[in-house]
Amino acid sequence: MSAMLLHKEKWSEFTGKLSGKNLWAPAVQGEMKKFARVAEGQTVHLDEDNTTVPPKALVFPQTETLCRFSLGQTDLELPGLDEEMVLLGVRPCDARAMALVEKLFRWDFEDPYYLERRERTTLIGLACNEPDLNCFCSSVGGGPASPEGLDILMSDLGESYLLEDITEKGKALVEEFKDLLEEAPADAVKQKEQLVEDAVAKIKWNVDPEGIPEALPQLWEDPLWEKVSAACLGCGICTYLCPTCHCFDIQDEVEGPAGRRCRMWDSCMFAEYTKHTSGHNPRPTRRERTRNRINHKYSYFVDKFGVIACVGCGRCSNLCPVNIDLIDILRQVKAAR
Amino acid sequence: MDLDKLRKTAAEIVSRDDVKYLLGWRRGTFGYRVAPYFIEDAAGVDELIFSPLCISNLATYLTLVEKLPVPRGQEPDQRKVALLVKGCDSRAVAQLLVEKGIKREEVVVIGLPCPGMVDRELLAEKYPETEAAAEVKWDGEDFLLVGEGGETAIPRTEVLAEKCRLCRHPNPVISDLTIGEPVEPWATADDSGVAEIEAKETAERWAYWEEQFSKCIRCYSCRNACPLCYCEDCILDRLDPTWVNRAVNFSENTAFHLARAFHLAGRCIECGECERVCPAGIPLGKLNRKLARTVREEYGFEPGLDPEAEPFQAGYKPDDPEEFIL
Repeated sequence: MSAMLLHKEKWSEFTGKLSGKNLWAPAVQGEMKKFARVAEGQTVHLDEDNTTVPPKALVFPQTETLCRFSLGQTDLELPGLDEEMVLLGVRPCDARAMALVEKLFRWDFEDPYYLERRERTTLIGLACNEPDLNCFCSSVGGGPASPEGLDILMSDLGESYLLEDITEKGKALVEEFKDLLEEAPADAVKQKEQLVEDAVAKIKWNVDPEGIPEALPQLWEDPLWEKVSAACLGCGICTYLCPTCHCFDIQDEVEGPAGRRCRMWDSCMFAEYTKHTSGHNPRPTRRERTRNRINHKYSYFVDKFGVIACVGCGRCSNLCPVNIDLIDILRQVKAAR
Repeated sequence: MDLDKLRKTAAEIVSRDDVKYLLGWRRGTFGYRVAPYFIEDAAGVDELIFSPLCISNLATYLTLVEKLPVPRGQEPDQRKVALLVKGCDSRAVAQLLVEKGIKREEVVVIGLPCPGMVDRELLAEKYPETEAAAEVKWDGEDFLLVGEGGETAIPRTEVLAEKCRLCRHPNPVISDLTIGEPVEPWATADDSGVAEIEAKETAERWAYWEEQFSKCIRCYSCRNACPLCYCEDCILDRLDPTWVNRAVNFSENTAFHLARAFHLAGRCIECGECERVCPAGIPLGKLNRKLARTVREEYGFEPGLDPEAEPFQAGYKPDDPEEFIL
């Protein structure tokens, strides 16, 4: 791992050059912030706030064509590979989420759609100096400068960015831009470490997940689930905008003699999520659905992959219109043990 | 707001044998958040609040709460649901009665004349939220923010929610009892948000909505938060036939939003929940207000004012103004 410095006066040249590589960066669209394609030659402006829509939407699109078919044809038409892309300004939590989700997509079946797109994506992260009030990455195994999932980690040191390459892909990219970079002095890395420490100290609304995965199966019938789900609207905000939620449905869209099979995001908070053809639904109310959302992240994923499938980005708590707050739920789980 | 009186009344109501729970609000877990609050016994009323942050419409829960089949040998729970309503919320209850979505004897309606609510996002823009829960109070014509940093007076116009700026019915239109004195309606006819869109050329207007609907992530929070979107079998969830594809793109998103808007024409009571809950900031309120105004002006009808009224789209009046029909 090398540590390089990029002075901010070279920032527009840096992003201008990067923009030739199918570059995506956070952009504000009305009230919503999400990753958008950067036009060639354009400069990127990064600020403190994370995006509303996590960058998972780029590697795991909300709607994705798996194949096309038409009447009388036995051959399926497969979609071509997407162009390689570079994502700039990815928060460490969101990159870590991709690393976690990848475990699932590599599990009993290697999902070519996800994995190929992930392989063709380079993630340039930006460490968080100012965590948002719902951030709690450091409680769930991440951190404001966690390198997991990233190819390059950038840290804002004020006058310059510190660039640390994490992977071979990242190293190659740093090498390509070496004319704009200089070797980072040892105190730059120290400064970064101090910033991380300061950022972690600012995280107040958090919970230590110790014991939660073990407690959840015991609390299956606990009245807490009724309590925490009573106000739930049953919408898809918390799951759709969660960087680790990865449930999908597969549906065919047919128009006339041709159609496509596509995969689209699904949400365990929806009433029809596990509704059987018979009409029976093993999760008939918002109580079971909320319980599933928490159990999937803090119990099932832990059983299967040994790690909590929550990166502490805080989106679910922040965006819920009725104040269903993950930290509050987890604290109640701990209290009910 | 006489909070003691509200809590005392709530405790009495929730203690009644024929009441299952009372729907109110309580302080949220952080910042300016307020959460819908299901109170099942008198002890729970201590957390009950009514403040300018209690913007959400609790009437939604009357139809949202799942009614599971009653196990053999058991009697269905016939107890009433008590709920607190502001002016707009009470219109949702009235409209649900019109549509027979609920029965009058199933609810106890506690009316709260409403001096106007705060737009939380506007407030947070000016006075950022912190992890400590803060409080907002009514203070004469203005709002008073009570937080860690002491008290801050905020002029009403600075953070008043848009739906409240346009509100013509701040006093509950239906209730079993009312707490507080009626307030003077203050509505401004100046719906500049809608006027701005109306002033656009057709192509420009189309481009505007294309941009808005393209942002939609189809989380259906607007549908679920809407007290009057309560079809048991929503066309959006239907797969056979698939009326609206699940695919998220401008075309399908538009089909969704227009279907919803038209289903609400003459039914929408302008509580603004759809727009408030939208994570993408799609101005759904403008869409619904435009249709509500059309119904008001062209048919002389306003929904959710009279629980005995004939449903607008199911009725026929020989004296409809219908001046726009050639």
